[in-house]
Amino acid sequence: MNETVLQIRDLNAFYGQEQVLTGVSLSLKKGEVLCVAGESGSGKSTLLGVICGDHQPVSGAERTDRSSLLRIESGEVIFQGEELIGKRPSQMRKLMGTRIGLIPQNPAGSFNPVRRLDAQFKETLKSHGIGFDRGEIMRVFTSIGLSDPEKLLESRPYELSGGTNQRIAIAFAMLLAPTLLLCDEVTSALDVTTAITVIDELLKLKKEREMSMLFVTHHLGIAREIADRIAIMHCGRIVEEGPAGELLTHPSQEYTRKLLNDVPRMTER
Amino acid sequence: MKRSLSTGRKGRNDNVTRIVRWGKNLIRLIFILIILSFLVFALLYLAPGDPAEKRLTSQGIAVTKEVLDAERERLGLFRPFLVRYGEWLLGVFRGDFGVSFRDDLPVAPKLAAGLQKTVQLASASLLLSLIFSFPLAVLAAWKKDRVPDHIVCLLSFFGNSLPNFLISVLLMYLLCIRMRVFPVIASGSLQGLFMPVISLAIPMTGRFIRQMRAEFLVQLSEDYVAGMRRRGVKERYLILNVIRNSLGHILTIIALQIGTLMGGSVVIENIFRWPGIGKLVMESITARDYPVIMGFVLIMGTIYVAVNQLADICFHALDPRGQA
Amino acid sequence: MRRRLKTRILITGAAAGIILLAVIFAGVIAPNDPYTTNALAIRKAPCADYPFGTDNLGRCVLSRVLYGGRTTIAATFFLVFLSFLAGTFIGMICGTCGGWADRLLMRIADILLSFPQMVVAIAVAGILNGGMKGAMIALGITMWVSFARLARSHTMSIRQEAYISSAILAGKSRLNIICTHIFPNLLAPLFTNALTQVGTTMIGLSGLSFLGLGVIPPTAEWGSMISEARAYIQIAPWAVLAPAAVTILTIVVFNYLGDLVMEYRETQG
Repeated sequence: MNETVLQIRDLNAFYGQEQVLTGVSLSLKKGEVLCVAGESGSGKSTLLGVICGDHQPVSGAERTDRSSLLRIESGEVIFQGEELIGKRPSQMRKLMGTRIGLIPQNPAGSFNPVRRLDAQFKETLKSHGIGFDRGEIMRVFTSIGLSDPEKLLESRPYELSGGTNQRIAIAFAMLLAPTLLLCDEVTSALDVTTAITVIDELLKLKKEREMSMLFVTHHLGIAREIADRIAIMHCGRIVEEGPAGELLTHPSQEYTRKLLNDVPRMTER
Repeated sequence: MKRSLSTGRKGRNDNVTRIVRWGKNLIRLIFILIILSFLVFALLYLAPGDPAEKRLTSQGIAVTKEVLDAERERLGLFRPFLVRYGEWLLGVFRGDFGVSFRDDLPVAPKLAAGLQKTVQLASASLLLSLIFSFPLAVLAAWKKDRVPDHIVCLLSFFGNSLPNFLISVLLMYLLCIRMRVFPVIASGSLQGLFMPVISLAIPMTGRFIRQMRAEFLVQLSEDYVAGMRRRGVKERYLILNVIRNSLGHILTIIALQIGTLMGGSVVIENIFRWPGIGKLVMESITARDYPVIMGFVLIMGTIYVAVNQLADICFHALDPRGQA
Repeated sequence: MRRRLKTRILITGAAAGIILLAVIFAGVIAPNDPYTTNALAIRKAPCADYPFGTDNLGRCVLSRVLYGGRTTIAATFFLVFLSFLAGTFIGMICGTCGGWADRLLMRIADILLSFPQMVVAIAVAGILNGGMKGAMIALGITMWVSFARLARSHTMSIRQEAYISSAILAGKSRLNIICTHIFPNLLAPLFTNALTQVGTTMIGLSGLSFLGLGVIPPTAEWGSMISEARAYIQIAPWAVLAPAAVTILTIVVFNYLGDLVMEYRETQG
């Protein structure tokens, strides 16, 4: 329970001239759930991007004119003792999937829209040397509230709703069982009952497989449900961090109190 | 439960829209073919002099008023234009393209024999071109802005800038005269097929690489590619997905290139004396043998239009998204 | 990178300029008359008097290449320019008026493009039997379409701009708006398209000439020179290689210039 899975130290990152992450430091232990909460545009998704290797390779000096790329000025991101910054895309590919998993904000876009889902599952699982077991996938589908799994496997992502695609992305994470699971606004496309089912399943994963999770959300209500610790992000900085219960009941920062005041309104909706 | 039901309804709708689309394709095909046939028939009236005059001069008969009028009567030129168009079109449907001005033999068998030879030549060059361009385009897109991409793009640029008649003349000079690898004229045989096929394939390969690479690059910038990378999917599966999703566009690219191939094959057949439809049409142009020219345009135009409609149907079958 | 592109455009543009100047001043540069036959110097190899040798009738190949360039390049530019004018005019009418005129013209354009261009061109040029003029008409039938489509789409997007509606409110006439606001904004994309069309047009025209559907002998033209000299390539290869080399050079220079300008415009955004 004490092994550190992810360690981020003093991370500074830019989009062109604009600084999007300022001195971000975080750490995540095995089997721990950390929630990074903040308004949209606070840099939460960028932080996930950095962990996924979504930044410009250090060696690619000839591409510096492209301002749209994320540039890392300083800092380190250490995952299980490995520095992630500066890794080549091929090295990142080996990490992604079974060691670092991601449920993106727009899961529908992360699948090939016109290819059957069973083929896509087969490709992903085979890439990681996991056998393709139809029954196992269907069991996972049922456990997160997806009905008619047989038919679902035969359909193509463009035919499915945003919520279904979101749960398929979660099914991918459950099958690949990564050491660290990154979730970007994971319940945003789901209705309340489905969101609760999904969160229960994720909590089960955490318990059974000691999975570490980094949740990014603008919704503190979700954070309350699932998080062990919470970090509040504002304008590219971590303004407050602490154990979930403590932070939610006794916030030390004005900004956190403001965010907390918004929560009841959201759950009422 | 609700969601799976809605999926089922969507499936039925897909079938309906597919049939509607095929119907639309068919109507469009017929419409374009009617216009094509009308324009082809009008071609005859584009040139100075009427068909009777043309026929007589092409046969080398002295044109006097009496002979001309007798010929006009025999050809039915005193009847209205549309009636003659209708008769001609009916004949075409029955496989009758009229008789040659030159030797009074029916045109259809000549065209059929030429077409068969042309199809041999064109399909061989298309096949050769695809064998090279497809993998090279994949490679270039995969290694974008790196050495392999630069090399492939350079080759494709030069292939694209070379007119095919120049390639064939230069090939003849190099292979037949300087290196004496091939005889200068070797029509009919497999050896004779080699140089015309290469001459047609080189510029086509250049164009294919350029267009296919652009298409692969579009696919590679799609979200699903990034999504697959983040799931740690192996590169070979990624290539497979990109190729599968570009297939519709690539079929369209190929179908459009067939038009250029048809024009190119006229030039190449005349250089290498390949007894195809292109050589036939150039002989007919020299001899002012209009029924053959009309038959040529009609046949080539129909093939081209049909192939493109077929490519359109395949495109929508491969990418069903646009149907909803 | 953009500056490097600019220098490359300047260098290629200079090369294109040199080619143009060489054919414009063919009369000054050419060492001999391109039409004078010399019975004493038939198929002579390159020498001091005839730098590129002589052809079957003892005519100077270099002079014929220079004068022939005049025919080829003038015909190409004239054809591109005419398609540019016609296409832009039609495209602007479609873009500003809309309605049935737009639908009719665009339908005609669609139908024209659904026939194989070169097949139609060969038949039309063959039946017209009108030398270079016939070849130009044959190619021009479809060439205006790309200009018209481009002009139409740009006109439509410019029409949405705020300054157009303010001009309409100011009571300016439609013609005035087209001349002062729309046409100047169309020039850059249409000019780029014209540049990329030069190479293809030259390939098409010289192809028709090569088939004997272009110039009427003895007029010098590259395609027909190659076609004529092909018969005795074994004895006098220079008579083929010289026009072949300049054809390739010219097409390469203009195609490359077109590519560069297109790339330059793409990186502009």
